[in-house]
Amino acid sequence: MIPKFDYHAPTTIDEAVELLNTLEDARVFAGGTDLFVLMRDRLVRPKNLIDLKQISELQQISFDERNGLRIGAAVTFAEILRSEVVKDRFRVLWDAASVLADPVLRNRATIGGNICNASPAADSAPALLVLDAVVEVAGERPREIPIGEFFTGVKRTALKPGEFVRAVRIPTPPPGSKGRYYKWGRTRGEDLAIVGVAIQVNGEKDVRVALSSVYKTPIRIGAVEKIFKEGGPVEEKIKRAVEAVRSNISPITDVRGSKEYRVHMAGVLTERGLRELLEVK
Amino acid sequence: MPEYSYVGKEVPRLDAVEKVTGAALYTADLKFQGLLYARLLKSPYAHAKIVRIDTSKAERLPGVHAVLTGEEIPYRFGIYMSDKYMLAYKKTRYVGEPVVAVAAESEELAEEAAELIEVEYEELPAVFDPREALKEGAPLVHEGLDEYLHAPFIFPKAGTNIANHFKLRKGDVEKGFKEADVIVENEFTQPMVQNVQMEPHVSIGQWHPNGRIDVWTSAQSPFAVRYLLSVGLGVPLHRITVRVPFLGGGFGGKAGLHWEPLVVLLSRKAGGRPVKLLMTREEEFNTAAVRQGMYARIKTGVKRDGRITAEEILYIWDSGAYADYAVNIARAAGYSCTGPYDVPNVKCDSLTVYTNHPYGTAYRGFGHVEFHWATERQMDLVAREIGMDPLEFRLKNAALPGKVTPTGEVLADDCGRVDQCLKAVAEELGWGKPREKRTENGKLQGIGIAALWKAPAMPSYTSSSAIVKLNEDGTVLLSLGLTEMGQGTETAFAQMVAQELKIPLEKVNVVRERNTDTAPYSWQTVASRGTFMDGNAVLRAVDDLKRKIKETASDLLGYPPESIAIADGYAFVAREPDKRVSLAQIATCGVLPDGRGVRGPLLGYGYYTAEGLTFLDPETGQGRPALMWTFGAQGAEVEVDPETGDLRILKVATALDLGKALNPLLVKGQIYGGVVQGLGTTVMEEFIFDEKGRLLNNNLTDYKIFRTQDIPDKFVPILIENPQRNAPYGARGIGEHPTIGIAAAVANAIYDATGVDFFDLPITRERLWKGLKGVKK
Amino acid sequence: MSKHRISLKVNGRLHELEVEANKTLLRLLREDLGLTGTKCACERGDCGLCTVWLDGKPVKSCLVLAVEADGHEITTIEGLARDGKLTPVQQKFVEHGAVQCGFCTPGMIMVAEAFLRENPNPTEEEVKEALGGVLCRCTGYRQIIDAVLDAAKEMRKAST
Ligand SMILES: Cc1cc2nc3c(=O)[nH]c(=O)nc-3n(C[C@H](O)[C@H](O)[C@H](O)COP(=O)(O)OP(=O)(O)OC[C@H]3O[C@@H](n4cnc5c(N)ncnc54)[C@H](O)[C@@H]3O)c2cc1C
Ligand code: FES
Ligand code: FES
Repeated sequence: MIPKFDYHAPTTIDEAVELLNTLEDARVFAGGTDLFVLMRDRLVRPKNLIDLKQISELQQISFDERNGLRIGAAVTFAEILRSEVVKDRFRVLWDAASVLADPVLRNRATIGGNICNASPAADSAPALLVLDAVVEVAGERPREIPIGEFFTGVKRTALKPGEFVRAVRIPTPPPGSKGRYYKWGRTRGEDLAIVGVAIQVNGEKDVRVALSSVYKTPIRIGAVEKIFKEGGPVEEKIKRAVEAVRSNISPITDVRGSKEYRVHMAGVLTERGLRELLEVK
Repeated sequence: MPEYSYVGKEVPRLDAVEKVTGAALYTADLKFQGLLYARLLKSPYAHAKIVRIDTSKAERLPGVHAVLTGEEIPYRFGIYMSDKYMLAYKKTRYVGEPVVAVAAESEELAEEAAELIEVEYEELPAVFDPREALKEGAPLVHEGLDEYLHAPFIFPKAGTNIANHFKLRKGDVEKGFKEADVIVENEFTQPMVQNVQMEPHVSIGQWHPNGRIDVWTSAQSPFAVRYLLSVGLGVPLHRITVRVPFLGGGFGGKAGLHWEPLVVLLSRKAGGRPVKLLMTREEEFNTAAVRQGMYARIKTGVKRDGRITAEEILYIWDSGAYADYAVNIARAAGYSCTGPYDVPNVKCDSLTVYTNHPYGTAYRGFGHVEFHWATERQMDLVAREIGMDPLEFRLKNAALPGKVTPTGEVLADDCGRVDQCLKAVAEELGWGKPREKRTENGKLQGIGIAALWKAPAMPSYTSSSAIVKLNEDGTVLLSLGLTEMGQGTETAFAQMVAQELKIPLEKVNVVRERNTDTAPYSWQTVASRGTFMDGNAVLRAVDDLKRKIKETASDLLGYPPESIAIADGYAFVAREPDKRVSLAQIATCGVLPDGRGVRGPLLGYGYYTAEGLTFLDPETGQGRPALMWTFGAQGAEVEVDPETGDLRILKVATALDLGKALNPLLVKGQIYGGVVQGLGTTVMEEFIFDEKGRLLNNNLTDYKIFRTQDIPDKFVPILIENPQRNAPYGARGIGEHPTIGIAAAVANAIYDATGVDFFDLPITRERLWKGLKGVKK
Repeated sequence: MSKHRISLKVNGRLHELEVEANKTLLRLLREDLGLTGTKCACERGDCGLCTVWLDGKPVKSCLVLAVEADGHEITTIEGLARDGKLTPVQQKFVEHGAVQCGFCTPGMIMVAEAFLRENPNPTEEEVKEALGGVLCRCTGYRQIIDAVLDAAKEMRKAST
């Protein structure tokens, strides 16, 4: 069973901020698909839960060419999958949404919850990393955190007490750019990632790779970008990129997979993805 | 006249509508006045002395009605070996073993109370590998082994961790190996896995102040539960009633006795209020029973012409902390040890060994999934050694009618045909035809085959019975002791009854709840014995009913009973069909023209007792253990991605000689489901422990079972029908068989594709990749 | 712990109740409303057997709080068949042998029904993907997938 707590459902951001800053031992939540499991396992036992779903702003996706995409923190992955804009222009994120958990869970699981839970396996994180997303933070002093600075450790983020995520903002990728997310689990059916690789490509010179489940946080591999910025034959670059990925990650061994296999698969997925996106046989 | 031929037809299951509408009630769905909820405090240690338990805080919590410790209930339970306490007694033997049980007015309160209990342990050295447990000086899991009651065909060794040593000696292996041209020896392993039936174990018990006991439980075998409760608690059977509502799967994991005594004892302590214990999924993994692990070593002697001359086999079963079921699994695997082959000289030792792992139980296949993994891999490895095609090698040694089994049984002419199964599967796989092994995108394809056999694993003397009642409107009620956990036997039996009585199937109903007070006896719903044994009982019950119908009709029509036929709801004179009475008219009694009543309510009773089975000789294992053999073969076609270790199962073909398919729709369902469970064992399921014996994957996030996307692209069920004369319509049991050969078939196919051999299960993506690493692409 | 007055519609009927904050929708349905058709096999989002519809969308009710359902409309397996008439999905589950022990059946059907309303003409792969969040240990899924594909056909016929 889920242990006892008090439930609050604010309808505005301000109200939520106020509750979070005044209630004892309070946590916000959206889908609850991470939090309720942790609570049932007695791994966390907050006294107060603040439901963000009554705040309509947090449920919205908006897009315009100049400002890019803005996804409210409580938007579910099912909603993200329904968005044509995301599918057309932010494919790497759409891909991630399409392999996160299963279709039923995606009706509750939110993007805010996914990044704030800050699991190394968070499927949306690598996509957000290669897309240069910015996290909008609500709190007594609203601020923004570049996604690259958001994850600070296993289950840890740059959020301070009293803050929560309001939205993620993603700049519009240049026309012609492409992205995909490749997820590898133990099985073909639903599983958490052993490795996930997000790749965003804007021509041969702008290639970004980020991964899940291979480091204490989701991680973008800067070295890959350098390799592609420099000149040289594509085939060579791919090879070096794969090496760069393998040497910049440090996965753990757990029940899902060994370090060795994760390192190997990180390379395989990176290579396969790069070949697909760069259209190299 | 309509035909009423139902046997062999694809009839939907009788209970399907209740299930698709959510109306079907399972044990967890039942509500009771004054119900209390039980929670368990479990051992964090694999092996530890219980020094002190302080329950005072929990007891003081308002709403808590009973707190029980092992000291208060030192009763042992078990069907083959009474080695199990409901709560750890003096010491704990595995991580997750219940130490204290609480019953409170709500689940939340019970949980809270359990958190308030303090237990002081003193850790003892533990043993996890059964091979280590066999060594001199290994920690003893059960010091009092010699005091335990056990079935006469079980041979524990006091002072060791051996709960059963089954020995089989056929012919002269020394001589056999001398005759051999080649000797091949290999080792194989399989880890502990779990049944993972979707409905967790749940029991509700009430020990009334007047001494009566009521139990509602998710059990496969209500009569076994009642009997074992009676023996363990010393309460006579007529004071115990066990009821089984709908059952959400069991696959063996709900056979015998589980937590029923605990809820009953909690109820006694709580002054007779009913108590419910519903296991969480985590407890299903940590605390409830699992499938034992296995280590196998097989040495095979063979002639260059392909004849096997001798086999020496060692099976070691990791039964975990308690061996109630594992003792019989070692025995069943032992007497079937060679697989479906005629091996003239066999030596087999099959050992059930205690360790400090969770305790073993029956799981679909009852040891056969595990040991066929070894024997059917070995068949391929031996064939390769002598350069023979593995199919041909199997056919050459096949256990055909007239051949002799390891226990000395000469197979009867109607025993079923493994060769036909093998050939059918081979044909489906395109065996022997040239095939492209490498696909355009660098994947590797291959095919593999395995043969299998299994007889119901049970004591030599079990029985079943059935009752058929005629109602006042001519409808019929069938009452069974066998339970329906999804396998569909109930529907097949209703088809038989309708066909035998020549009435529409809609007029037959099966009594839903199994209640030991009112249902006819059936030993257990296990071992794929239901179709055969309870099926025979049903046919005899129908015969009995028919005889009585004819007697009444004879009285009314004035013709001898032999001249009377039954069809379409009437009993009539066969030669003069218009001389007839309706079944409705005579259901309660016959009425003569002058108004006098004759005879009485019509009810047919039938039983069936396993025939001709004997104990096996304790030193040689010779004797007759098998009521029937069901033979089969399975084949797999796979595609391997050598770079990732991904395995795609393109096709699984399963041929079973089931004698007669009573209901092909349901048979296919058993095959699809069994194949997929077998594949789970093959590629993804395993218990992963840390060095302290703690299970690391105790939920369905971390322990994977097949989902929709994992299933084979194609299933090919092949139903072979060589009827068995003493079986109902010739039908043999097949419930377990589709799980048995699949692991070896897949591994054999992987070898065919890649040239790499696997000896340990499961072959996960990672292990497959590791195995292929370094192999030339 | 906080208690909340909620009002929600379940299978078309309005309920007003008081619930404790930590009560899940699953427990509310099973324990308080007696709707035991919805099953529980893990209570942590893995099995999908507890799937019900929240405003027409399937959700795993073991991970939804009862108070979160306040003001919403819930549909459970008991709410599908109208006047004893099975839906095409239910009917096809019966015909195809897609039911064995039946424990996963309610969850499977709730997911399949919702899926076919959104995607009336699915491929086999799409059906597998859609049902990927619900576990079944008995059937091997084959007959379930066949039943859903056949129900889709039936529903398309009915709507043209
Ligand atoms: C069966 C199952 C399968 C899963 N599979 C996957 C998978 O494949 N890939 C994957 O990445 N995840 C998976 N998850 C995890 C989970 O579903 C996702 O991480 C999901 O996106 C979490 O969103 P939520 O809204 O449910 O989070 P919640 O549980 O509501 O919250 C998660 C955490 O984030 C905090 N939080 C939530 N919203 C905010 C906010 N706006 N600001 C600050 N903090 C916030 C909460 O306090 C909590 O600590 C799975 C979970 C389950 C149960
Ligand atoms: S009970 Fe809700 S997903 Fe398993
Ligand atoms: S029918 Fe038993 S779990 Fe699906």
